[in-house]
Amino acid sequence: MKRCLTLVLALAMLLSLSISAAAEEDKSLQDILDKGKLILGLDASFPPMGFVDADTGEIVGFDIDLAKEVCARLGVELVCQPIDWAAKEMELNAHHIDCIWNGMTITPERLENMSISLPYLKNDQVLVTRTADGYKTLSDLAGKKLGIQAGSSANDALDGTAEFKATLGEIIPFEENLTALMDLNQGGLDTVLVDVIVANYYMTVNSYPFTILKESLAPEEYGIGFRKGDAALCKKVNEILLAMREDGTLAKISNDWFGTDITII
Amino acid sequence: MKYIDNPQRLAGLLGQLWQGLGITMSLFAYTLLFSLPLGLLLALARMSWHKPVRWPVQFFILVMRGTPLILQVFTVYFVLPMVFGAAFERLTAVVIAFVMNYSAYFAEIYRGGVEAVPVGQREAAHVLGFTRSQAFMHIILPQVVKRIVLPVSNEVITLVKDTALVTAVGLVELYRVARNAANAVGSIEPLFIAGAVYLIINAVVSFLFNRANEHFGYYQG
Repeated sequence: MKRCLTLVLALAMLLSLSISAAAEEDKSLQDILDKGKLILGLDASFPPMGFVDADTGEIVGFDIDLAKEVCARLGVELVCQPIDWAAKEMELNAHHIDCIWNGMTITPERLENMSISLPYLKNDQVLVTRTADGYKTLSDLAGKKLGIQAGSSANDALDGTAEFKATLGEIIPFEENLTALMDLNQGGLDTVLVDVIVANYYMTVNSYPFTILKESLAPEEYGIGFRKGDAALCKKVNEILLAMREDGTLAKISNDWFGTDITII
Repeated sequence: MKYIDNPQRLAGLLGQLWQGLGITMSLFAYTLLFSLPLGLLLALARMSWHKPVRWPVQFFILVMRGTPLILQVFTVYFVLPMVFGAAFERLTAVVIAFVMNYSAYFAEIYRGGVEAVPVGQREAAHVLGFTRSQAFMHIILPQVVKRIVLPVSNEVITLVKDTALVTAVGLVELYRVARNAANAVGSIEPLFIAGAVYLIINAVVSFLFNRANEHFGYYQG
């Protein structure tokens, strides 16, 4: 019995030793190179960053083209793994995915929980309104109903402008930006707070009679999220992105999707 | 209308839905395959005279029916890897969670079926020289089967629709395919097309259970 206990204790010590050793040495980049693939986690319903093409069924998008090029330069295969956006940190920490690369806004909270790449795209949280209502400024929206995607960084932007938030009549959370914009179109909302890139996409595909207010809330930046501590992998991806800036690949991919270069690396 | 008047895009969506249907039907089939028999074992344990057998099962059923299925899926997929070190495949993890959850519901349906058989029949069987297990297999069980067909059909139909929960761990099943398409084209039309697929599946399930119910209705004249 006693011997058994000693054995268990010795094993436990060995285990904790090997765990702490692994924590000290950053093998994140080598691991990716060894397994020959990078698993990219994305909510595949976020056009134009990463989404399922309606005609081909393939996962496409600006972020996907970017990731493909980075993986090609790393010499590994890109694997796109659809995830639930609300569970992204859990997916990352459980090692089910290697990175979150899906128009992810860099927030102080996320910086605390992840290693995040250089900001690569600028984003604004904008207010979409019906053109017919004629709203011009934030103060026109006092007492009005605002729709927002639950769990998105639009919530952070709203919290960051507390004076504006306080003037609103009601804040209504939606599972998806699409349904919020549909509700705006049918008159259930007065405005929707959403990423400018997403707003432009839906206004193009649906030709909604919408106008984006000139005044926007806090500007944001998109980054690629890696596991906290996977610094070697994060650093390597940054280097590749910088090289893509230099040789014009970044500008080319941006032109393909947005008609202009809006990258900020 | 972004699909009805665009046959090429509609065909594309149906192809993607077909792939999603593979996940949906795998989950459906595996869940039934394991939870129907496991539920019977649980029901027997739940009716045991031994408290050390009965109580843990009673507690298991309480937890499985008393917490959200989505949380159970999360637990198997995200928490168990922390405990055991290795992660399950996505589909394996959700099958485990669904089997545990559904076997708890089936166990209580079976128990209801068994307890609906009058005690006098067991006593009569005993007097006629049947052992307890003989009485259960030859007298009780055939009657239980008849009584549980309709309650079980309720669970099975619910199961078809519950499969949509598994998008929470990144499985792209029928409903998720439709949601992805909806977000890409900016219209919720694909959701209704997926809804029609669920309806067709459940029409088949309902038909089969109705047939079974008629088959077992042999004492109803």
